[in-house]
Amino acid sequence: MASHSRRAARTLLIGLGSLSCLVAGATGAARAADLLLLAEDVPSGLDPDGPSIALPTTQEGMVQMLEPLIDYEPKGPNDSGFVLPDFSKPRGRLLEAWDYDPKALTWTLHLRKGVKSCAGNEFTADDLIYTYGRALSTSGAVPNAWFLLNMGSIKGFTNDVFSTDKAVADAAKKLGDGIKKIDDYTVVVQQTEVNPLYFVNMAVTISQGVFDAKEMQKHATAADPWSHDYANNVNLPSFGAYCLERWVKDSQISYRANPNYYRGKAFYDHVVVKKVPEAANRLVTLRTGQAQMVQGLNAHQYDSLKDAKGVKVEGVLGNEGLFVVMNFKTKPFDNIKLRQAIAYAIPYERIVQVGYSGQAKQWEGVIPSSYPGFVKQAQPYSTDLAKAKALLAEAGFPDGKGLDAYKDAFKLSYVSEKEATLGPVVNAISTALRALNIPVTLDPIPQTQYGDRQIVKKDLGFAVNDQEKPIGVDAGYAMKLFFVSKEAGGINNMMNYANPELDALWVKAKIEGDPAARNKELADMQNILMRDVAWLPVVEFKTQFGLSDKVNGLTWVTDNSPRFYDLKN
Amino acid sequence: MLLRYIGRRVAVSIVQLLGLVVVVFFLIRLMPADPVARLVGLNASKEAYAQASHSLGLDQPLLTQFLQYFGLDGRGGGLLEGHLGVSWVTNGSVLTEIGQTLPVTIQLLTLSFIITLLIAVPVGIAGASRPGGAFDRGVFVYGLFGGSQPEFWWGLMFIFVFFFKLGIAPAPLGLVNPMDMPSEPITGFILLDSLLRGEFDVFLDVLWHLALPTLTLVFILSGPIIKMVRQNMVRALGSDFVLYARAAGLRESTVTRYAFRIALAPALTLVGILYGVMLGGAVLVETVFSLGGIGQYAVRAVLAFDYPAIQGVVLVITSISLGIYLVLDLVYAVIDPRVARS
Repeated sequence: MASHSRRAARTLLIGLGSLSCLVAGATGAARAADLLLLAEDVPSGLDPDGPSIALPTTQEGMVQMLEPLIDYEPKGPNDSGFVLPDFSKPRGRLLEAWDYDPKALTWTLHLRKGVKSCAGNEFTADDLIYTYGRALSTSGAVPNAWFLLNMGSIKGFTNDVFSTDKAVADAAKKLGDGIKKIDDYTVVVQQTEVNPLYFVNMAVTISQGVFDAKEMQKHATAADPWSHDYANNVNLPSFGAYCLERWVKDSQISYRANPNYYRGKAFYDHVVVKKVPEAANRLVTLRTGQAQMVQGLNAHQYDSLKDAKGVKVEGVLGNEGLFVVMNFKTKPFDNIKLRQAIAYAIPYERIVQVGYSGQAKQWEGVIPSSYPGFVKQAQPYSTDLAKAKALLAEAGFPDGKGLDAYKDAFKLSYVSEKEATLGPVVNAISTALRALNIPVTLDPIPQTQYGDRQIVKKDLGFAVNDQEKPIGVDAGYAMKLFFVSKEAGGINNMMNYANPELDALWVKAKIEGDPAARNKELADMQNILMRDVAWLPVVEFKTQFGLSDKVNGLTWVTDNSPRFYDLKN
Repeated sequence: MLLRYIGRRVAVSIVQLLGLVVVVFFLIRLMPADPVARLVGLNASKEAYAQASHSLGLDQPLLTQFLQYFGLDGRGGGLLEGHLGVSWVTNGSVLTEIGQTLPVTIQLLTLSFIITLLIAVPVGIAGASRPGGAFDRGVFVYGLFGGSQPEFWWGLMFIFVFFFKLGIAPAPLGLVNPMDMPSEPITGFILLDSLLRGEFDVFLDVLWHLALPTLTLVFILSGPIIKMVRQNMVRALGSDFVLYARAAGLRESTVTRYAFRIALAPALTLVGILYGVMLGGAVLVETVFSLGGIGQYAVRAVLAFDYPAIQGVVLVITSISLGIYLVLDLVYAVIDPRVARS
């Protein structure tokens, strides 16, 4: 009976398959000159100021089409084949050259000539002026592009654009003399203070990529003069390596190589990104050779590909890390000794193994170790239970006595959708802390709720986080984003950490013109943060992709999206 | 009489629908998180948050939001004019997005239920013809076996065996080869569209891609439907009128036909209920086979706290379910006119 059913099913499937293949003339999912990437999702929008900009899969779509002003010279592949950037060597992309006048605080941007968009329009200063004007209009769902220009102290990019006084806001949204077109290929940008972040942020494609103004303006309407609907739902016209071919949200997106691309046409003429929600299916499809690339697997799944024929895994210890949040506004986490005790109780090596299959290492600082200006802690926290116990006693909780009063504070929150990766990690942490009589319980919560509590309410008492990274390659960027107090201009200080000493150093570093002095101030800040366990860095883990062994050239960029242009056979 | 009955049922359905829309509107706003945070990401300055909140209309009082949703705030463009709003994740029209995802699920379910009925009815009748016999026991074991594992598990197992090991099924990458460029949809039902265009290669390709997801659903659905048909047939075959028919010397096939008509109504009810449940419940099969149906859309909407999308999905699925129940009631009324009179 069973074998009969099997035969029948097999016959049916083979019959349908053969008929289909005979008529369609194709058997595999991807053909030789194509690239098929299987991903956990496809872009939900393509507007840098759109509602889905925070989603990595949206960013991945944007960076294929948007062209940045600068990026960094490659410095060669790491041991797995991932090509890494040399952050000390910025290189012009849409910029041919740039000059900085420290006295006048002006940047003169010399634009590349002969660059053409997917629509065939030539890149000129008008495109850059349009891009900056759109950012200043703050007319999208999220003022993402404005944010990085405001962070870079560009004249005119002030908080006045959000004024409740309409006249003030409207006036502030018009480009003034902060951005000036000199001629078709020269633009001058004025800063209000010394601030290296403007230049650093130019490399952030998902925020500072340049639009094809002519094409965008074609789709403007009276109600939507900056074409947000078009960018959110139809296309992202720019000067990048790929042009949009077809896009079905929640299903797949396909690109064609830009025939006009100024760096030469991409090797893969046709790239398709298909949403395959089930990670196991991405994995098996790659193994059969019907896809050339997969992403979004957990470390154990990547590990399982190691010995598979015809595929390889490339990974980089880039800027992804896992840390523990202990909120200073939640007792007893305002007690530094208790924070240090927890830091000495964390089973770092076990987490590297059970959470990341060995593809991680202990994080010994507060910014990514691959970034310039990273400071390694002189004596990193290590798993030392005797020291943890002693510190717990010094904190006023010998053998954990008295901590039962704070049971609610020790609910360890994490994103429930990441159970496959974070489950083993939180279990390892919980087991280690319970051995010290710290009453930890696990609290998985949905991503949206986690984000709301982290970013808006800032009331996550005790949590594990693996999704924050400074996309701008600068220690100061990270300081402002994560650690400086709100009063001193900090943005996403989820731990409610407020240290006047640190804030004072930031005030100096922010406008420090001497790079050596600035590095020293930023180094001092990092040491203070490690001493106070402002957040508890646990591990840096690899950003990984699974690839056909015929695909080479994968490069790492700090937004962690692959650039299809760099891929070759 | 029948028309009055239909009118009454439609009126009740509309009231039910309206009540549900109101309840869902307020209930989802009680969820323990603010969707604005997901939009602003790291750039959560006070100003950015305020702007995002304003762009979603969440800075308005709840009553104003409610009136806007229905289009009663004087600006129009609300639910009463057929607009389901704009998704907060994609910024696309919810109606359009549901129009893309719903046909995928309906197509899958309809195909699965047709095949299930083609298998379950004869198997159920055959089992009932000799209760306790070897065939009947086999069917009982199958019912237990098929229903004992969740559908995503069977789906993954089928993929592993038929695609990965045997290589006779397509990759679980949706309804068509992702490298092909499908034509623009006409109805949204890709099988139907391919026939309308005369694209038989596409028709066969889609059928091939639907084979494993359909097999998975048939495997799961056929268990309870076989049981229902079998039990009702056993009951009908044991009733007095069958005894009389046999005593009158009617052929066994005629007797079976009479009994089947009696057994049909409860089985149809079960099919109708299962169809309504599976509209949202097929999400696991949709996910495993990357089909992108309405269930997947609903789950994403809930996880992202995408209020307009959640409201739209609830409204559409409820409407379809109420429609199915209405049709079932009408079929009942035709089979048994006493239902309409009551």
